Amino acid sequence: MTDERHDRIMAEAERIKALGEAAESMAPYEVNQPTIGTWLDAMGYDNDRFRDGEAPPSMIQAWTMPGLGRRRADEDPLSRMMVVLTDEGYTAVLGTNCEQTYERYLKVGEQLRVTSALDSVVGPKNTAMGEGYFVTSRNTWYVDGPGGAEKVATMLFRVLKFVPGSRDGRSATSSTSGGTR
Amino acid sequence: MRQIEAGQTIPEWSLPLTPTTIVSTAIATRDWQDVHHDRDVAQAAGSKDIFMNILTSNGLVERYVADWLGHDCELQGIAIRLGAPAYPYDTLTFSGSVRSVEDGVATLDVVGRVSLGDHVTGTVRVEVVEPVETVA
Repeated sequence: MTDERHDRIMAEAERIKALGEAAESMAPYEVNQPTIGTWLDAMGYDNDRFRDGEAPPSMIQAWTMPGLGRRRADEDPLSRMMVVLTDEGYTAVLGTNCEQTYERYLKVGEQLRVTSALDSVVGPKNTAMGEGYFVTSRNTWYVDGPGGAEKVATMLFRVLKFVPGSRDGRSATSSTSGGTR
Repeated sequence: MRQIEAGQTIPEWSLPLTPTTIVSTAIATRDWQDVHHDRDVAQAAGSKDIFMNILTSNGLVERYVADWLGHDCELQGIAIRLGAPAYPYDTLTFSGSVRSVEDGVATLDVVGRVSLGDHVTGTVRVEVVEPVETVA
């Protein structure tokens, strides 16, 4: 670990943070009952409310997942920061924290838009997985209507980007699947 | 929604995990990362097996607290920390309690454990409507 490397990482972090909500995407499908029903079935969750027009709040992220074979856009701030750290040797990634806030429950028929920003980069830290940086991204979900953009939910998502094999420990394969979209 | 107060314990709930649990929830959350449905890929990446995705950990936390609170509850947020992976053939056991009730918001502590340790640890914030006092 050289100070130069740390300085490069933090300079890039500041630059990417300053981009703000630099990437956005539309949910590929509006909030819909078949997707909710499939989710309830998989979770074994029997809740009539969600068979009748409302969506479970913790489904928020599912609506804007990219879909099979698609990837996050290159301009996504989290993706950019991942590239910076990978290039500096922090190649492995592990999801560590996910903090969702719901302004209200969604309704069938609503069309979601999500933005992505880099919230913070903290490190280097010696963790059980090895030396790494904690990278936190912030997603904000909106429903656009005649009255403008209504914020309906936010998520802070933190991953550890680390040097694999620098410690023993559990599997380092946990993905960023909690990651943005 | 049930009446809640600080210190209450939420009854434990255990969910046996099968490959179907892991795969069906990953797909239902629209998470196509191969480590959640392809054992060969997961093992090649150094994992023991496929493992539960984070969106599902969130969903199961919601189910655990909502089934106890009553389905008319209004969740305001779920904040979780991820720990040990949840593999097929393990059992995920949730426990929880009410940490506080103040300013119209209850905060619940929730832990989901597997054999390797805590899979998910977190808090759930729930709207609390104070009972209206009737004037005689």
